[in-house]
Amino acid sequence: MSNAVIRKTLISIAVAGAATLAQAEVVIGVAGPHTGAYAAFGEQLWKGAEQAAKDINAAGGIDGEMIKLVKADDACEPKQAVSVANRLVDSDDAIAVIGHFCSSSTQPASNIYAEAGVLMVTPASTNPTITDRGLPNVFRVCGRDDQQGQVAASYIVDTLKAKRVAIIHDKDTYGKGLADAMKLSLNNKGSTEVMYEGLTRGEKDFNALVTKIRSVNADVLYFGGLHSEAGPLVRQLREQGSKAIFMSGDGIVSDEFVTVAGGPQYVDGVMMTFGADPMSYPAGKSVVKEFQANGYEPEGYTLYSYTAMQVTAAALSHTNLDPIKAAEWLHANSVDTVMGKKSFDEKGDLTVSDYVMYEWNDKGKYIQQN
Amino acid sequence: MDIVLQQLVNGLTLGSVYGLIAIGYTMVYGIIGMINFAHGDVYMVSAYLTAISIALLTFFGVQSFPFIIFGALVFTIVITGAYGWVIERVAYRPLRNSSRLSVLISAIGMSLILQNYVQLSQGPNQQGVPTLLSGAFRFYVGDGFVQITYMKVMILLIAFTGMAVLTYIIQKTKLGRMCRATQQDRKMASILGIDTDKVISSVFVIGSAMAALAGVLVTLDYGAFDFYIGFIMGIKAFTAAVLGGIGSLPGAMLGGIILGLSESLFAGLVSSDYKDVFSFSLLVLILIIRPSGLLGKPAVEKV
Amino acid sequence: MSQTAGMNYKQCFTDAVVAALMALVVFGPIMGVVLDGYKFDIDFQRVAVIVALVFVGRLIMSYYFQTEKGKAMIFKYASNHDGVTVNPPHFKSKMIWVIPLVMIIGFLIPFVASKYILTVLILGLIYVLLGLGLNIVVGLAGLLDLGFVGFYAIGAYALALGYENLGLGFWSMLPIAAIAAAFAGAILGFPVLRMHGDYLAIVTLGFGEIIRLVLTNWVSLTHGPNGISAPLPTFFGLEFKRRSASGETFHEFFNLPYDSGYKYMFVYLVLFIVVWAVLFIKHRLVKMPIGRAWEALREDEIACRSLGLNHVLVKLSAFMLGASTAGLAGVFFATYQGFVSPSSFTFFESALILAIVVLGGMGSTLGVVIAAFCLTVLPEMLREVAEFRVLIFGILMVVMMIWKPRGLVRVTRNGFAAREGAVK
Repeated sequence: MSNAVIRKTLISIAVAGAATLAQAEVVIGVAGPHTGAYAAFGEQLWKGAEQAAKDINAAGGIDGEMIKLVKADDACEPKQAVSVANRLVDSDDAIAVIGHFCSSSTQPASNIYAEAGVLMVTPASTNPTITDRGLPNVFRVCGRDDQQGQVAASYIVDTLKAKRVAIIHDKDTYGKGLADAMKLSLNNKGSTEVMYEGLTRGEKDFNALVTKIRSVNADVLYFGGLHSEAGPLVRQLREQGSKAIFMSGDGIVSDEFVTVAGGPQYVDGVMMTFGADPMSYPAGKSVVKEFQANGYEPEGYTLYSYTAMQVTAAALSHTNLDPIKAAEWLHANSVDTVMGKKSFDEKGDLTVSDYVMYEWNDKGKYIQQN
Repeated sequence: MDIVLQQLVNGLTLGSVYGLIAIGYTMVYGIIGMINFAHGDVYMVSAYLTAISIALLTFFGVQSFPFIIFGALVFTIVITGAYGWVIERVAYRPLRNSSRLSVLISAIGMSLILQNYVQLSQGPNQQGVPTLLSGAFRFYVGDGFVQITYMKVMILLIAFTGMAVLTYIIQKTKLGRMCRATQQDRKMASILGIDTDKVISSVFVIGSAMAALAGVLVTLDYGAFDFYIGFIMGIKAFTAAVLGGIGSLPGAMLGGIILGLSESLFAGLVSSDYKDVFSFSLLVLILIIRPSGLLGKPAVEKV
Repeated sequence: MSQTAGMNYKQCFTDAVVAALMALVVFGPIMGVVLDGYKFDIDFQRVAVIVALVFVGRLIMSYYFQTEKGKAMIFKYASNHDGVTVNPPHFKSKMIWVIPLVMIIGFLIPFVASKYILTVLILGLIYVLLGLGLNIVVGLAGLLDLGFVGFYAIGAYALALGYENLGLGFWSMLPIAAIAAAFAGAILGFPVLRMHGDYLAIVTLGFGEIIRLVLTNWVSLTHGPNGISAPLPTFFGLEFKRRSASGETFHEFFNLPYDSGYKYMFVYLVLFIVVWAVLFIKHRLVKMPIGRAWEALREDEIACRSLGLNHVLVKLSAFMLGASTAGLAGVFFATYQGFVSPSSFTFFESALILAIVVLGGMGSTLGVVIAAFCLTVLPEMLREVAEFRVLIFGILMVVMMIWKPRGLVRVTRNGFAAREGAVK
């Protein structure tokens, strides 16, 4: 299905919905770390949502009403997340929110949206607890850490046939959640890790840890965390002469991973789990081209954010802009997006996990493994 | 055995970097008795300057490693020194006669300014420099081996040379004598005709230059940085300065190395989860036994 | 310099040129060369603008400082006027009517304000509590504490953990958390009392970090970085939820339509009362022997000891009182957020609380209240300029310190006079 077809369906939906309300705008919040240490991810969320809103508005908006985006900065601090969530609900009258990024921010904020009956679709928070609490209005268009861990564990045991696995995490909600999920799947497969430890986010010297990894003779090093730590870690691993296979999750999906690792020669052979390549969907391809035409490389969570906006718009347009009904609608129906057809289970998770294994090459690009 | 040796090497290089940055804290503290919270962020700025100088040099066709590292060192040290001077002039000098806590708050404000100014100018992304020098010495010990990259050897050499030069400046030159005089008694020094404002400025410049030295070395070695690295490095270096006895130059280096070694050994042999807990506990323990640090002079109580 | 007030334009110009050159050196590389991977982009325009700004700014400043007004200003800053203002004995401020007014307004606010404003105000009041607590330690007892956030964390986690493991609610945990934090203060305070000034600062900083690291790493108890949810307060056993598993909820009992704003109203009102109670207790404490002892010990420890004051006990009491106030604040923070995680208790929080105390004027209660509201409401107001928020915040911190190095509100106290009827 091409982008044009999606647009056509959206227009027909809009016409069929026959806007009855007199409002001219639909306010949707884009919440994430727009400042602070994770601001790069906040930018991805914003760019994706912005482009999606632009495309939807160009096609006539939701029920003929234009989407107005509000940037809400939580800096990945739970304290600020509560504050901006209340602000979005209260002062900005947002009826839906795309966000947040960090799971630790999404969790307290989602309570506020649930109370206010606001639809929340997170493009990036993969921690299982986000949807496991059974809030009716919470959805995510990314996978769950336990699904990701499963894919990684079966690859290690079945494909690589590795016996000695070391697990490192960054002591953060995302990284530790991912590492724990992977550990659980690994143990279920009858394999035990040789090492399980955390490193401190923000540090760049992991030599002591690397020496320890060397001392346990690990075949595979699984890292739960982001590229800011993964880069120096893999480089120091190679510099100390270890040949263990480095594997991680979707937190390292960024060209910056190559930059911080000191060049493509260090990321060569790094494995990672990530959603199926959006370029493999025709609709995704044209949107990626659109981004590139505007001089922006849609990496990481940009397209997830785009997808989240499409899902939100589709649900709202089917339910006359009633976010509570929209949430019910989403639990029952599926939506065509740039990343394929998305449908949600009763918790708000995607019904189909699309994680696959990628491998980085010596050019600093990642390629899907089969 | 090889693992313990490798951890010692790791700790020594990490510690010498802590030591270099700790010098900035210890000198400023010694001379005006303030904790310069922005110092860690000065180090962060120097990491950016290193990457910028390397990018510029490679753009202009400089390829050979010695030229690049020399160019990066000169460029970064000079401009970071200028940062130290400007920060002192703008944020601290107007507060010379105020309580020390006001200066502390001003320094915390300065630290926020530097972080956000760099983030706004350079973007929030992770940054890096290409690997310029790779390869390592490898020593076989028993079954295993100990590996030291050339870069780490260079860090140790340059760090200790920097320390030696600084010690010479402080002990033998006129500027050093003026620094020591101002440190002992600022009022008396100014009565004797020393321009104490100028001396304080130069201390800030020297401290920043040492942080820049560390910045260049660390950036070349780890190859990765962002606008937030100053915070953790600053706290660690400050801990090192206090551990060694704040105000004492050899103390800063000693504190740095003890901290680096204890971190590496604890992380390597026990658990990296609790390595920071261990370093801070060690600090508390040492301060309880020796309340003014390892090499610090005990504070004389006036009666 | 000659006595005539002639303008030295050449001086102005040289100053400005030097400043502009310095700006070029400092801002040039970072603002002009933007890293992009291993390559870079050039942005001359930004550098030109900032250098021009510095040049003009310095020119105006040099000019101003040569006028009479400017000279007076320099003189004011160069002089070192310290200490407290002493009012005549039995002095009663004419502004005393403000207190009941503020009380009434404070009680009425939740019924008119929007939920967002209410949450900002709650945060402001939490920081007032924190500021008051640290003010006892730093402002009155003169012990520089950089790890104050540790006690705040203990209070917040006490509520969450007490609820999860012991089934205790908000009301029972409020006093228990305060006691737990005070106890932690005693444990920390005891060994570090030998240390002076900045050694104390770094040890307390270390202590704050240790608490945060333990909360992060002790996963089996605290759930580590995932955080842990905290309960809401109850109104005589009535819960503030849409539906309750155990009996009636607040809105059902009073036949009101459900509104999530009620719980913020209630938290606000309780917090408002607690803040007034703490204010009152602190106000009395300062006038009691223990308060005098804190200040005396801050000024001259040796003199106090020679007069027979038990310095350990005095310092310890300051530490524990400060810590228990922070513990209270932590409970409110946890219940307000409904969730606690270690990322809320970083060193930056400690620095912010310290900034409140110093900015308010060391030892001044009114100053702490004003500064706490400034520092929490200001970042929210600056939300409009999202990216520049923290930068402006930092600049304001520096500028405020230069403008008012001793804080917004000076400490005043009444002079002493012999009591009536006493022998003169």
